[in-house]
Amino acid sequence: MNQQLAGYAPTPIAARMENHGRAMLKVAMATGQDLYARTGSMVAYEGFIQYEPNPPAVRQIASQWVTGEGAPVMKCSGDGLLYLADYGADVVVINLNNDSLSVNGSNVLAFDAHLQWGVEKVKGMAKLAGQGLWNVEIAGTGWVALTSRGTPIVVECGRGEDETYVDPDALVAWSPNLKVKGKRSFKASALVGRGSGEAYQMAFSGEGIVVVQPSEDSTDRLRIRG
Amino acid sequence: MAREFQRGHKAKISDLTAGTDLYVGVQIAGPGLTFDISCFGLDANEQLSDDRYFIFFNQPKSPEESIQQLGAQSGDTESFRVTLDRIPANIHRLSFTATIDGAGQMSQVGPGYIRIVAGGEEVVRYAFTGSEFTTERAVMLGDFYLKDVWRFAAVGQGFDGGLDALLKNFGGEVAEEQPAAQPQAAAPSFAPPPQAAQPAPSFGAPTAPSAPAPAPAPAQGFAPPPQPAPPQPAPQMYAAPTVAAPMAPPQSGPVPPTPPSPYGQPPQQPQFGQVPGQMPGQVPGQAQPPGGYGQPAPYGQPQGMPPGMPPGVPQGVPQGVPPGGAGLKAALQPYREAATGQRWTPQNQQLMRVELGMGGTPILARQGSMVMYQGKVDFSHKGAGFTGRIVGNATGQEMELMRCSGRGQVFLAENGAHLHPIELQGDGICVSAENVLAFDESLQYEVRRIEGHGIPGGALFTMQFQGTGTVVVKTHGIPVVLPVTPTTFADANAVVAWSSASQVILSSQVRLRRNAYPGHSGETVNLQFRGAPGNFIVVQPYEV
Repeated sequence: MNQQLAGYAPTPIAARMENHGRAMLKVAMATGQDLYARTGSMVAYEGFIQYEPNPPAVRQIASQWVTGEGAPVMKCSGDGLLYLADYGADVVVINLNNDSLSVNGSNVLAFDAHLQWGVEKVKGMAKLAGQGLWNVEIAGTGWVALTSRGTPIVVECGRGEDETYVDPDALVAWSPNLKVKGKRSFKASALVGRGSGEAYQMAFSGEGIVVVQPSEDSTDRLRIRG
Repeated sequence: MAREFQRGHKAKISDLTAGTDLYVGVQIAGPGLTFDISCFGLDANEQLSDDRYFIFFNQPKSPEESIQQLGAQSGDTESFRVTLDRIPANIHRLSFTATIDGAGQMSQVGPGYIRIVAGGEEVVRYAFTGSEFTTERAVMLGDFYLKDVWRFAAVGQGFDGGLDALLKNFGGEVAEEQPAAQPQAAAPSFAPPPQAAQPAPSFGAPTAPSAPAPAPAPAQGFAPPPQPAPPQPAPQMYAAPTVAAPMAPPQSGPVPPTPPSPYGQPPQQPQFGQVPGQMPGQVPGQAQPPGGYGQPAPYGQPQGMPPGMPPGVPQGVPQGVPPGGAGLKAALQPYREAATGQRWTPQNQQLMRVELGMGGTPILARQGSMVMYQGKVDFSHKGAGFTGRIVGNATGQEMELMRCSGRGQVFLAENGAHLHPIELQGDGICVSAENVLAFDESLQYEVRRIEGHGIPGGALFTMQFQGTGTVVVKTHGIPVVLPVTPTTFADANAVVAWSSASQVILSSQVRLRRNAYPGHSGETVNLQFRGAPGNFIVVQPYEV
């Protein structure tokens, strides 16, 4: 029995964050190197790790989200190995090297606590029902893990003057220096109930990258659980 | 987490697994057929310059034992153990082949596969069936090849000749220079030829038992007019840009320098938790000595520590640099947009990129399937032609399309479903309406309705496409393509598409049957397919 399962044992630690398979993130934790992770994303841990939901620092930075229900990130600290996952979504590990990235809130899995980060609502864009589209802007040098439903794709903007339009449900991340605006693409035909089905897009212009997932399932599964 | 490869897919071994001690299993079987499965270790010119690296039943291991034949086990017809980091530098390619011993042809072969297992976990599998082949008597299943790093490619290339033709393919130059040596080799009972460079007995031995008869063997394999066709495709395939390898999309633009040792780890590092002899089904007693790895385990881990032990509280968190270098650009490099000069380009298994400017005609796509676009693209509503038919909106069968026109690139995807572009060149295909994602407007299409009791909604809608253009079909999971035989049935809910090679066949296409199984209400509707040989159906592992 051990033999068949042995292949799934963790590989030796080579970096702070690594993929274990497509859908699981392995984080090597150490004292003094804290981590922010999505609440509810922990699937296993080894060692001595403590979790602090709704930490005061987050409340300060992310005052925009905190509308009584608490921030959707928790602070993890301690020594050991931490395994995170988001309902089988693909995990993409990024080692920021003095870069910055804006990530759609429901696609953040974890990031180093020492990174500079902030939360903002996407300008000019109110997502349809209920919560607005909030995103986390992360900058500095350190590790970030994103989730994507399906293998994502990265598109370079700024070739020519054409803008890049993205379905907000499929958007994962983008370069913060891009100019973002909402676009409603309905025409006369849409008014009689025969739209193209693509009513809202986000338009990106400038130089940078956009990361898109091949699915329009933007349900925040971790949030549902509360 | 095994990855399924299709013919032509390739990937770096380091992307598949961190290990270099690999188990390669081949399953191939057919009624009344026996197979010789061999591994050719080829040099940079794809020649078998050293025939000690022709691993087959008479020579089950290479001199330094980096390639070993292990025999049938764990459901595999034949298995090999390959230790990549011990393969000598002059070997640049390991080609795994299967040849029919005796009479028969590859089209008789049932479903088979070649797979790679690392540390007990199957990491990749390339499955094939006999329907992909015709009268070939040998097939190159898959290759490990060295291009900066070791990579694996699913080849699936058939050969008309048998093992001898393959040998000739890999050692063609040698064979032509020494026409006289070959007859010698074919007679292994004679004294070995004196040439040191050609240990003929090992070569001659396979020829005799595997070729159907010694007499036709020289004529087939070593006759002066070489079979020019087989050797060509393989090199071409590697020269061409990667088409759709799921994990290693074609990296256009600047590629960061790949570190020689993947993942920045010591190249001979053991996989964590791999105890000696842990490889699945490895012959007992052949347990590799721990020293074979030659290096202590990293992080002071005791060697051979059984799996499941805590990997130790990390002694200081390594802030190692990921493969491909640090930084945002490098981390996202594998996911970069892949632009080819084609109108329809799969970006990965789940995303399709359409270049609208090419060809000039608009495309029709399912509503809501656009995830992104660039350029000036116009979207407008288009019914799918379901209007005028009795379609209950409540059945969910109504399909709304949008027309994308203009110039620019549109990226299509839906719920992470697998996408398959099907290029039609005058032929026809029927696709279940639910599985159509997008198609060229230049195609003629027609909505058909298959009525039957028990189909949800009362009828199954299919779209028949004809003409020249591309249809993108989406499936949940990896589909199976079955040849149409007199007894081909499919669940109406799981069938995705079927060919309509000619109108005549289509008119007799489907016959509805109601099959009541024990314990089943009989609600399931099976479709039976009939058609001339060469037709096929596509079924997905998901009953909508």
